[in-house]
Amino acid sequence: MSISVGTYLPPWGTSQGRVLGYDEDALTMAVEAGRQVVDAGGMVTRVVFISRELPLLEGGNTAPLLAALRLPDTLEVVEQLGGAPATLDAILSANSGTLVIAVDAGSSAGAAAALVNGSSPLVLAGRAQRSLPQRTRHADGQSFRDDDPRLLRESGLRTSMSALDLPEKPLLIAGLSARDAAVWSSEPPPALPTLGASSPIFALAVLIDSARSGLVGAMEQATLSVAHFNAAGSTVKRHEPKAQKPAARKKAPGGDIKLSLAAYDRAFKSKVGWHAGKCTACGLLSTPPRYHCLGCGADDQWELAPLPRTGSIYTTTTVHVSVPSLESPYTLAVVECDGTDVRSLMHVTDVPPGQVTIGTHGRLVLRRVAIRTGVPDYGHAFSPDAVSVQEGGAA
Amino acid sequence: MRRVAIVGAGMTSFGEHFSRGIKELIPMALGEALASVDKGMDRRDIGAAWLGEVGTTDGFGAGILADSCGLLDIPVTRTENACATGQDIIRQAIYAISSGHVDVVAAIGADKVRDTSSTSTFWDWMAQTRDMAWDFPLGLLAPANFALHASRYLHEAPATREHMAMIAVKNHFHGVKNPKAQLRSEITVEQVLKAPLVAEPFGMFDCTPQSDGAAAVLLVAEEHVAKYTDHPAWVLGFGLGIDRVMHQHKRDMTTFTCTVKAAKAAYAMAGLRPRDIDFAEVHDCFTAVELISYEDLGFAERFEAHKLVEARDHYVGGRIPINPSGGLKSKGHPPGATGISQCVEIFEQLRGHSHNQIDGARIGLAHNIGGPTAASGITILGKERR
Repeated sequence: MSISVGTYLPPWGTSQGRVLGYDEDALTMAVEAGRQVVDAGGMVTRVVFISRELPLLEGGNTAPLLAALRLPDTLEVVEQLGGAPATLDAILSANSGTLVIAVDAGSSAGAAAALVNGSSPLVLAGRAQRSLPQRTRHADGQSFRDDDPRLLRESGLRTSMSALDLPEKPLLIAGLSARDAAVWSSEPPPALPTLGASSPIFALAVLIDSARSGLVGAMEQATLSVAHFNAAGSTVKRHEPKAQKPAARKKAPGGDIKLSLAAYDRAFKSKVGWHAGKCTACGLLSTPPRYHCLGCGADDQWELAPLPRTGSIYTTTTVHVSVPSLESPYTLAVVECDGTDVRSLMHVTDVPPGQVTIGTHGRLVLRRVAIRTGVPDYGHAFSPDAVSVQEGGAA
Repeated sequence: MRRVAIVGAGMTSFGEHFSRGIKELIPMALGEALASVDKGMDRRDIGAAWLGEVGTTDGFGAGILADSCGLLDIPVTRTENACATGQDIIRQAIYAISSGHVDVVAAIGADKVRDTSSTSTFWDWMAQTRDMAWDFPLGLLAPANFALHASRYLHEAPATREHMAMIAVKNHFHGVKNPKAQLRSEITVEQVLKAPLVAEPFGMFDCTPQSDGAAAVLLVAEEHVAKYTDHPAWVLGFGLGIDRVMHQHKRDMTTFTCTVKAAKAAYAMAGLRPRDIDFAEVHDCFTAVELISYEDLGFAERFEAHKLVEARDHYVGGRIPINPSGGLKSKGHPPGATGISQCVEIFEQLRGHSHNQIDGARIGLAHNIGGPTAASGITILGKERR
């Protein structure tokens, strides 16, 4: 009865709030958080992807999520629109093997994942579903905002808390401003990096790190869920690099980058899952996979084999001229995967342009390489190791 | 097999020909080539024609050549082989003549780069030369395509950005005297180094301009040469080299493997060694490409190209003058026409009529490289038949 938690914060923004990189969206952040958990092992049998910023509303989010996490494409994936209470609810009602990934891709961006091992360590203490829609966003993307902090505090938070009639104040409540959190929590809470769907998992991570069990709440507008959390046996793996000012980039006007959906589909598994084609006759790795093996001459005898997601730069250039529909400047690199002779051309991400040199070592991370005629084109980018230095100085 | 010689050569000026379309540039180049034939040539003598064209500005290229030049009764083929197109249509012309099927071939290269905006041209070219799923969305522009080689070369070799700059300075110096050149002004190393960056390590002055233009050569079977001229340029050798299309598959990016292959074939056919070459027109779309090509063509030892530059051996008057025409850098680069224009320069050098005449020019080499650094064409021309 425990959870394995993984967190991800983009390296851009300030310690007050992170912002997405130009090549990130809710899906790439979900993969970053999810990989923290999945790569550590643990059986995943079902995925719940919660965000209010799902990239594709007509379908197409779930396959890249599974492929990039190297999970079987036979798994059930629940795509859920939701905020903080939805995530807390999803974890407390989850069966063993459920991976809940929650992403905030707007302001105060971040993502977090929780894999439930055994029965859920969360037990519902109370829930109030109430309507006070001060912020709205409609299907056409139009949003409205009518913030009245006093109304939200009195008719939202106070009323919902009273309705729950809890035996004691929660240790932490996700989704609240620092000021409100201080009033309604049992002790001065640490500031959580996000306020939306991912925030309850960041709250659970705080409790796991300090080995505390007790009530934890999640609030969105006037809706509140509170659960009792037993922290015993749970673990946390964080990727929360230091925040840096977003790099200045210029997007030149111009037409979309053309896309052949057929070519996209052929490359999908290899590109998003980061797999080579491995010749079943001689074992040679080819990226992208080749019909005709250059090692032994076998035709169409290959299977996908996972490639290491770390490597070093063989050569690099930074493009400074403005390029229609791309954000300049940008850095390209030919990266050699550790322990193989497989190389791949990719963008360098997570650092301002021009910050890497030949020999720089780093991770390969899923990024949205481009938006091509409306389709997010996901692939891998190179994130130098220096980025991975955690907030607070820990390596 | 029959030997082949060039008996006439001509070209338009290179530059931004906003007032002329490809339908004017092609017949202009052919007209000048016909007029250069010492004993005259009737265009009805031409038995087949090739058009080397990378883009397709005004539609169907082969038909445009036939239609605009009044060559409607002969076979015409358009060939595209990236920036190696020019040398490649010469190779195809030679195949046609030496096989005995045709006696006279017009090889015409033309491109109208500036019929598209200077920014979208990059994308138009990329769509023709990149893997659509893996490379295209990354923005691997032509300069970046070569810059990946240049970065690795500068990392392994003692050469510096200054040596690259000295190549641009030299080519501008040569181009000043070429009335057909696009950029006819001298520049300094400091100007090159201080120019805005395009794709590191290339600044603006490391890069060729974008150009329109056309160039034509007339190739003839050996037994018909004397009918047209007593001073032909004989084809001594040629080669076309192809390399892997994705940069990640090129094991050693300090060299252009396609050039090495093309050079090996051309030297073997000609029975020549690199030191037998008196001068060369080398594909300098970006300065470092010329530098690295000195090694790939055998003019310098591996990682010693910078010594040739420091000794100024690549100037007219030096040991191995490179790009007496001004090269792509100064003369301009309408890709389909570029390789043919190199042979126009060599034709004039071998006949002693160049604006930048090299004393004792007997054997000249023309070199193209293009696409995803994956196609190279080389032609070796000589004053004597050998």
